[in-house]
Amino acid sequence: MVDESCGQIYTIEGVAAAILMVTTTYLVLSTTIILTPGETHITDMQLEQLGYDALAVLDTPSEYGTQSRLSDYIQNNKKIEFNQYLLQLLNTRTDLPYDTLSYNASVFYRNSTDSLNYYSFSGSQYYRQNSVKVTRWVGIPDAVSAVSDMRSGDQTVLLEVLIWRD
Amino acid sequence: MAGLNDQAQWIVLLGLIISLGIFFLAIILNQSILVGQTTAESVLEFPKSDIQDLRSEVRFLAWDTTISAGDRTNCTKDIVFLALERKSSVINITPGTSSTNWIIHYNNGVTEYNEQIIYWDF
Repeated sequence: MVDESCGQIYTIEGVAAAILMVTTTYLVLSTTIILTPGETHITDMQLEQLGYDALAVLDTPSEYGTQSRLSDYIQNNKKIEFNQYLLQLLNTRTDLPYDTLSYNASVFYRNSTDSLNYYSFSGSQYYRQNSVKVTRWVGIPDAVSAVSDMRSGDQTVLLEVLIWRD
Repeated sequence: MAGLNDQAQWIVLLGLIISLGIFFLAIILNQSILVGQTTAESVLEFPKSDIQDLRSEVRFLAWDTTISAGDRTNCTKDIVFLALERKSSVINITPGTSSTNWIIHYNNGVTEYNEQIIYWDF
């Protein structure tokens, strides 16, 4: 019998290299799929927290017993002030340039006939960009005079804000 | 096979070991991205801000001295109604008195939260 057992390490190397290449290809592909633009959970999470924080800042009175800014904006229908202050909270960074977040806000309320109604509060037109929705309960001491079917007296309305990055 | 050059086997073996090292680093990278994704998903699913917001509004109702009892009932009705219609969560609020505590129940189908508010922390 002719001993032809030399070169065995080449065979081992060949098999090992094949396994390595196939597995590495699989790993690279699966990693890349996770990083596609459709996978936006992490940025969504950051955007949602930023939105809730901005609304919480707006809805915190500057001193005990006074009305919060957000409550005042909604009750007196001050859309321009709301727009200005919310955009400032959302887009300010530690350095220029400003961030490019946009929003679209609506106010939902229970009307005088016990059903749901809403009106647009302010913000940019929403064209189905990838957005997150944040909400805030706002207590207002009396009905918004610009809205016809609101009950009078104290009430709690729901402010819904869609936020997206242009 | 007799003419095959079987020198430099040692460096070939080293090459194999190094490529195995790179392979395991790739596995770690792959796993770390998955971990970031599942963490973000579970954070998004948990209604932390919803519950904080509800407590904040209930505190506003409880502490507001100018609001009448009828208006307060209307406000809690607003919250229950709007939460069901717009946030698909079931909320129940039992107003407290001078001797009893406020009680809130919250359930959005995934997370349930019940509290008898003894200490109004922020």
